[in-house]
Amino acid sequence: MADARSFAVAGGGPPQPPPPVARGAVGWARRHLFASPFDALVTLALGLLIAWLVPRAFAWAVVDAVWYAPDGQACRAATGACWAVVAEKHRLILFGTYPYDQQWRGAAVIAIFVALIGLSSIGRIPVRLRLAAWGAGASAGLVLLLGGVFGLSPVGTHLWGGLPLTIVIFVGTVAGGMPLAVLLALGRQSEMPAIRAVSVGIVEVVRGLPLLAVLFVVSLVFPLFVPPELSIDKLVRAILGMIVFFGAYAAEIVRGGLQAIPAGQHEAAKALGLGYRLRMRRVVLPQALALVVPALLNDIIRAFKNTTFVAILGLFDVLGATKVALEDPAWVRHAPEIYVFIFLLYLLFCLAFSRRGMAIERRLAARKR
Amino acid sequence: MGPTRPAGDFVVEFEGVDKWYGAHHALRSVTLGVARGERVAICGPSGSGKSTLIRCVNGLERHQQGTIRVDGIPVDGTGLGLAAVRRRTGMVFQNFNLFPHLTVLDNLTLGPVYSGGEPAAAAEARARLLLDRVGIADQQAKFPGQLSGGQQQRVAIARALMREPSVMLFDEPTSSLDPERVQEVLAVMEELARGGMTMLVVTHEMGFMRRVADLVVFMDQGEIVEAAPPELFFTQPRTDRARAFLGQVMHL
Repeated sequence: MADARSFAVAGGGPPQPPPPVARGAVGWARRHLFASPFDALVTLALGLLIAWLVPRAFAWAVVDAVWYAPDGQACRAATGACWAVVAEKHRLILFGTYPYDQQWRGAAVIAIFVALIGLSSIGRIPVRLRLAAWGAGASAGLVLLLGGVFGLSPVGTHLWGGLPLTIVIFVGTVAGGMPLAVLLALGRQSEMPAIRAVSVGIVEVVRGLPLLAVLFVVSLVFPLFVPPELSIDKLVRAILGMIVFFGAYAAEIVRGGLQAIPAGQHEAAKALGLGYRLRMRRVVLPQALALVVPALLNDIIRAFKNTTFVAILGLFDVLGATKVALEDPAWVRHAPEIYVFIFLLYLLFCLAFSRRGMAIERRLAARKR
Repeated sequence: MGPTRPAGDFVVEFEGVDKWYGAHHALRSVTLGVARGERVAICGPSGSGKSTLIRCVNGLERHQQGTIRVDGIPVDGTGLGLAAVRRRTGMVFQNFNLFPHLTVLDNLTLGPVYSGGEPAAAAEARARLLLDRVGIADQQAKFPGQLSGGQQQRVAIARALMREPSVMLFDEPTSSLDPERVQEVLAVMEELARGGMTMLVVTHEMGFMRRVADLVVFMDQGEIVEAAPPELFFTQPRTDRARAFLGQVMHL
């Protein structure tokens, strides 16, 4: 052993392609399903579960299901799902107590919202244009729902309901909550003690409260201290409560992003003569917000689902309207079908949001290559 | 400090400048002048205060005693004076500090357009000329993360030149570059020097100092220990501290 000498061989030959990997279904299965005994066990167990579950679910949802039952009679004999209840109640679920003959206006609001989400997933549209489109869409939606102009009959917010109400609350929450979050996050880093204290105070207090408590405060406690002639609309109050709640949570996420920006970025911007506002707006915030897109998206999706809380204030969002629909004795036993429908509705929107978020992440990653 | 200041046109002046970090005396009564059209290089061991000194010029660090002037404007921490000083200085950092979310072109035009109010088209035209001058005109649509370190630093130099500064401040511009990328950055800086740009450079590049500097300032422990033209400083250092430092650096 003592006479071993370190050595190295010069020359590796010309570049060559990598060795082949097993292709096709068999190769894929070997790599992803049966790579180890444990993997094989998990694959088998899950396979059995799927084999047991899928046929039953399929039989309930499709084979034995009743699709058409104008008076509910056909459903009573069926062993499968009764989708007829969705057809029967969809107007109530989607539009709540909004006047029946005016519900096309709610449908138009839903269409605008879906179109705007779709527009957002088209790649190269400048942010300014996107925001303008959302602003225009939001204004159009509010005019449509409120009425009172362009020959539309006025409809008070106490009659709003269903999906349009959900959308109004959600868009209002995010549109008001994001700027609030940025202000609170910047305020928390301020060099002025008063601003810092106020920002920290709001964030810590609101984060320490359940959303239900915040909504109760704005809707029940707040009016006690405000003279009735100054009282604001119940829906507006609910949205304000949601904005503060969303803003407090998102502020901490934004702050995390701000802290991740290296000092050199601030210094370079200062050296170029950019003042505080330009520095934040053009250099720091674009980078900080981009870093926290996944976390923010999490909060945005939660905000969409949190809209269901307004039901306790007597506002009939999709879920609230569904409960009303189920009070009909003719259909009350078909709650599972209705809730599956609601489940799919929420899932659809939340999937759309997260796909949008993934697109943003991909675009940001492309800059680093 | 006594009235040792000679008459003349100085772009950067330090008069008895002191700075502390807590109890640590980081700059000790620093007095120097950078004459218009000259190059001053600052060297010294790490922690000697050379970076602190150059960062005080445009107010990235605040000095506590003495006077700093740029083009005669005092750097006193008030917003107006600071803005005027920063318009007259261009700074290049060790870690480039380009804005990673903006294209190369937008990195150059951001300051002039948003802070200086220059029309975007005019700023872009000037930016293209400067990028051409530093040899990366073909990369203007790329993002900084897609460039090599040397290319990024050349973009940073072009960005600092956009405001047509009275003086360029370089804070160890080649220290975080791969060895084979150093020359391309030094070449750009030497071209600038030949064009008559006033420069204050913190660097360890001895060859660069010999070729370009009018004055080499050697700092240690927050004070200026020696100041001499490069040929004199490198061949006949007067102090033991300078000799020790040069001995270490020359061995590299």
